[in-house]
Amino acid sequence: MLAPLVPAAIGPEDEALRAEVRAFLAERLAGVPGALRARTWMGFDADFSRDLAARGWVGLTLPVEFGGGGRSPFARFVLIEEVLAAGAPVAAHWIAERQSAPLLLRYGTEAQRRDIVPRICRGEAFFCIGMSEPNSGSDLASVRTRAERTANGWRLNGSKIWTTYGHKAHYMVALVRTSGGPDDRQAGLSQLLIDLKTPGVTARPIRDLAGDEHFSEVFFEDVDLPEDALIGQEGQGWSQVNAELAFERSGPERLYSSTVLIDEWMDFIRSRGGPTESEAELAGRMLARLATLRNMSLAVTGQLARGESPVVEASMVKDLGASFEQSIPALITDHLASVEGPVPAPLLATLDYLAGMSPTFSLRGGTREILRGIIARGLGLR
Amino acid sequence: MSDDLFLDSFRKLLDGLGADPWPELSASGFLDVLRPESEGGAGLDLSGLFPLAFETGRRAAPPAILQTLLARLVDPEVLDCVDAAPVLAAGGVPAETGRALCAAADAAVMAGLIDALQSMTLDHASTRRQFGREISKFQAIQHQIAVMAEEVMAARMAAETALMGAPLGVSGPAAAVAKLRCGEAALVCSGVAHAVHGAIGVSAEHALHRYTGALHRLRLSHGGEAWWARRLGEWALSRRDDAATLARSL
Repeated sequence: MLAPLVPAAIGPEDEALRAEVRAFLAERLAGVPGALRARTWMGFDADFSRDLAARGWVGLTLPVEFGGGGRSPFARFVLIEEVLAAGAPVAAHWIAERQSAPLLLRYGTEAQRRDIVPRICRGEAFFCIGMSEPNSGSDLASVRTRAERTANGWRLNGSKIWTTYGHKAHYMVALVRTSGGPDDRQAGLSQLLIDLKTPGVTARPIRDLAGDEHFSEVFFEDVDLPEDALIGQEGQGWSQVNAELAFERSGPERLYSSTVLIDEWMDFIRSRGGPTESEAELAGRMLARLATLRNMSLAVTGQLARGESPVVEASMVKDLGASFEQSIPALITDHLASVEGPVPAPLLATLDYLAGMSPTFSLRGGTREILRGIIARGLGLR
Repeated sequence: MSDDLFLDSFRKLLDGLGADPWPELSASGFLDVLRPESEGGAGLDLSGLFPLAFETGRRAAPPAILQTLLARLVDPEVLDCVDAAPVLAAGGVPAETGRALCAAADAAVMAGLIDALQSMTLDHASTRRQFGREISKFQAIQHQIAVMAEEVMAARMAAETALMGAPLGVSGPAAAVAKLRCGEAALVCSGVAHAVHGAIGVSAEHALHRYTGALHRLRLSHGGEAWWARRLGEWALSRRDDAATLARSL
């Protein structure tokens, strides 16, 4: 059995950030169509990321001495829930800010921390995460990309695929094999920091079903990396990656992917006068789920703030959140199909985008099946 | 009395209840915890009520305990009340407030019942052997129980969030979320619990049906999922706020 989540509240100091963020977003996103905003943390806009950074909103929880804001996880919760709910294009800095900077602060060399983390906080250094390979999807321990020791560092060969913005990022943190073979599974895997400008690295974008190029394939051919490209300890990559995934899975980006569509749909219903009973019921069902998930996500943020590592709880919120996000386009399609009269074209465009992309919500960051396995382990079933 | 001791004595009281629980409950003082201290109560607010409701559910104890506790806000003589709403209305509480309060209390009892379903299901899956191993070792069972665990957590969160502040200051929209979300979770969790228990779980002597039966009856009381969803949706659509802002106020 797991301990119950403890409801958490955001303090007034952190809550005070909200109005400022909302005002900025309202100005910057005015006139941007819903279908574009629905991309949120899949939408890449380097200028937008730098503008956020200029306000101190990239690296909000990172230490001040490394260019961060030194604020609490709840302040970051306020910031990112506003950013995500509004549908701001935050992909450029998202992974660097959420995962890579904390990783470097924990395991990086002093030089890496001094050089790279402040640039992440300025919105100048973008990261991608090299996990999947052509023959390694959910079975991450089977990765074959390999780094061999050389006289003064590492030589890397192999490839990564489905890497979010691998063709636009400056750096990759990759999980690769540094010792042993595929039969050794988790043992012998390490995390490497790869400057993607290094000779021998090539990246090729892959077009997705919506026509975007948000993920890519990255190839490594005799890529020579310095000694300090190794992050943390050799052979400890697996446990390092898993600690990192708790951060990746706990946030509100697992609840808000379809809120732009809910907002456009609610505005449409409001524009038609009083809602019918079935419209009110649908709005209520969606909102009850969203509100409960938000309170759960906030409680997990409370655990992070207390220094806990809520791996299982984060997996539960992500699984439930992804199912919720995926249900929205299906429910709204069902309603709009029975509406008399025209449906606004922008609303339909948002709907089409999310109907197409929503299957990814239970794939990215750990599939539904992987998450349920983690939860079952947390419950003592395996 | 500290919170832990308070809750512990309530648990002991529930565990020792006989065939007619009301004299004992009445003598315990627990039925008056919501009443002001000046009138012999404990002046508890709803967040103090939540663990009592949850523990009542955990034991499949009569939900009338909670309804009686609410009814005694306006009528200290009431015992064995299965529905506090008419008593509250007769005592001058606005009908909407009374209904929201009753539904929120129902939800908290349901969250406890659902939590108990999870314990029973985990226990059964870990001891029942088929095909030469515990059925908890099968991935299909593990994934069903994982889904159940998510629902357990969601139901508790929704109910606990609705039970905050003064009893008569209960938020209608938060009560709607609680009753709706706990109703949805009750369906999922009752289904998984029965599936995992197999035929054993439908025998009269097995405790499982006391829990799933109580959940079924609570789904029927004080408005079902669709009823509360409509109220919540009407509230949401009557405002101009976006979904995230609405969710934040719940």
